[in-house]
Amino acid sequence: MIEQQTAAVEAAPADAILIPLDELAPAITAASVSRRAFIGFGLALAGGIVGAGALAQYFPVFASAGDEVSPIVPSYNPATKAWTFVVDTSACIGCGLCVVACKEENHVPEPAEFTRTWIERHVTTTDGSLYIDSPEDGINGFPKDSTAPGAAGKPVVSAYFQPRLCMQCAEPPCVGVCPVSATYKTEDGVVLVDARRCIGCGYCVTSCPYGARYLTPAGEDTPAGTPGVADKCTWCYHRINKGQKPACVEICPVKARQFGDANDPADPIAGIVKATNPAPFHTEWGTKPRVLYLGPALEEA
Amino acid sequence: MQATLRPMTIAGRPIPTLPEVGAWIGNEVRTTPRGLKRWYALLGVLLGVGGVAALISIPPGWEVMGTKPVFEWGLLIVAYVFFAIITSGLCLSASLGTVFGFERFLPFEKRHAILALISLVTAFLVIALELHYPIRMVFGALLTPAPTSPMWWMGVFYGTYLVVLIIEVWTLFTDHPTIHKYACTACAIVAVFAPTTLGLVFGVLTAKPFWYGVFTPIQMVCTALTAGLALLGIVFWAIDRFKLADHATAKPVAMPSIRLLMAIALAIVSALLIRQMVDALFSPTVGMREAAISLISGPLALQFWGARVVVGLVIPAMLLAMPMTRTPLGLLGTSTAMLVGVFADRLNLVEAGQIYPRTTLAGAVSYPYASYAPSLVEIGILVFALAFFAAAYTLAERYLPMGESDSHVFWPWPWIKHHDHAEPGDDDHDHEAGHDDGQSDPGVANAGADGADLLKRLAELTGTEGVQR
Repeated sequence: MIEQQTAAVEAAPADAILIPLDELAPAITAASVSRRAFIGFGLALAGGIVGAGALAQYFPVFASAGDEVSPIVPSYNPATKAWTFVVDTSACIGCGLCVVACKEENHVPEPAEFTRTWIERHVTTTDGSLYIDSPEDGINGFPKDSTAPGAAGKPVVSAYFQPRLCMQCAEPPCVGVCPVSATYKTEDGVVLVDARRCIGCGYCVTSCPYGARYLTPAGEDTPAGTPGVADKCTWCYHRINKGQKPACVEICPVKARQFGDANDPADPIAGIVKATNPAPFHTEWGTKPRVLYLGPALEEA
Repeated sequence: MQATLRPMTIAGRPIPTLPEVGAWIGNEVRTTPRGLKRWYALLGVLLGVGGVAALISIPPGWEVMGTKPVFEWGLLIVAYVFFAIITSGLCLSASLGTVFGFERFLPFEKRHAILALISLVTAFLVIALELHYPIRMVFGALLTPAPTSPMWWMGVFYGTYLVVLIIEVWTLFTDHPTIHKYACTACAIVAVFAPTTLGLVFGVLTAKPFWYGVFTPIQMVCTALTAGLALLGIVFWAIDRFKLADHATAKPVAMPSIRLLMAIALAIVSALLIRQMVDALFSPTVGMREAAISLISGPLALQFWGARVVVGLVIPAMLLAMPMTRTPLGLLGTSTAMLVGVFADRLNLVEAGQIYPRTTLAGAVSYPYASYAPSLVEIGILVFALAFFAAAYTLAERYLPMGESDSHVFWPWPWIKHHDHAEPGDDDHDHEAGHDDGQSDPGVANAGADGADLLKRLAELTGTEGVQR
């Protein structure tokens, strides 16, 4: 409509150039409205950018040493560390102390379905069947017979305990899928979750082939005081960056869990790895897991 | 100085005063048919019940959902996927008319667009209730973007989708044909990308073998088309049954077209389902075969054979094929069954993907299958979403002019001129604006050197003689 009028004005002969103003008025009004709309849009865009910048000040973009709840401390240099975790399944007695220590240390909620570490018992019976059970994550130890359905009464050929925890994968699927980058890998290779940025979508929980993640329930024991966010084993990052060992390693009475810095000549972990040649399991899942296992767990995998 | 009292206006229209609004509502209540009042009452009750469930679910971390670490995604993810793919399906089927120029699909463009917008808003409502921190998501997605995450891309495409759909609907009910053309084309493009990324959300997870693979996004797009067509079938029935706007064309034009598309869609999704099941059954990967068996003869057998296969595929195919059910009521039956089938299909995907974990998950050992039962709160939110969808569409149908729009697109790319439809140099012109060939000829003649060159090149490219006049 407006273009038609404008075209008419352009096509008019020179002697008819004087057009009554009221005929042009709609075109002029339309032009000014669109200019106003343009300026309005520009102002809104600028306001949005400034607003987003201001919000970014209050919205934590990445965990930093300045944050109270951040496990990253200024005195710690992650670039120098080669953290190594070795689990010996031939040594583990399934006492469950590691699960107790982890729950205490990391304020992990009490119910068994929320856990950062757990113990499985793998039982092979004479008919060749494999039964796996983990009553209450193994926190109270294990009864004599496997609690797995169908296992009761069958003669056992072999059995062992398999402590489980986050594998701190070198190529962690949980980090890749997080839509808001709330879960991230530190320079020393430990995968952490920023509880204040997690939206609780559960994508990382479904993406972990090792089942090492869960969403926290409401209650006192929640990371950074935020319920409903993803949580997982951090190898006790708040302890290892102060030179301590993870709680589960510290408490293990039979040294089934060994932890240390392979870059530190004084740390025995490099020697243990060299002498026993532990290996990660389920490498076929492609995540490059970094917890190394010894004993029957490795043979079964 | 005495102030004069002037009514406040929005876009030149006066804002009604409270008594005016009251009088209008009173008049509406009096004139609303009894059947519609009952429908409103039913929707009101469902919205109320569902609303309570939605409120209960808001505080994060409450254990009010049936989901758990071993079964982290449940009914609400299914509901979100369901409404999100309906949106895409509507736009995909609408694009046949608006983008690809099949005129028989044009008359119901407004309904396509409105329904798509409502279903997308419903999808967002559901996912906002499912997520523990939806507001964080908005800021997080903008401030710390994660381009490696399919979920982030899904957010990008569905966010874009919302904006483009709002523009499409706005331009459909106002007079902005050029913007409308761009919006329709953008919608059709996003309608493919959005469900593809939604499929990728599942398809990239190596931890869940039943979800993993390239066929998951393909299946998502095809199921989307099926869902969109099924919903349109229900709407066309309603248009015919209640004599809504444009009902004269619903029976002779829209219904045969939609039946044709439904038959094609059913064939495609059936083929994809067979491929999926055969592939899973013979897969050496731990979790694949078990997932397929859980569907065929395990705990998911009823929702697979009953809801997915019989209700979702066999019954619609029969209703489409039998001459006696080629009626509006038959179309309603076909569509409802197909929609139930699509919902069951998405439910089966989400459940079968998680039912056989590869390993113990957060200490939970699942024998032989992991179990999940939706809680009352989850079912309530689904009811709320369905009632919201129905209520919003009922209101739109009653209060918006749903008749055929003047601003059809037909030739959707405004920067490409079609000599029969637009005059050179005329950017903001709709092909139906009332000029015929006689009028366009002088336009071609006056096109100047550029226009003549373009026509000459077009004639060379296409080999048509008649273009150069």
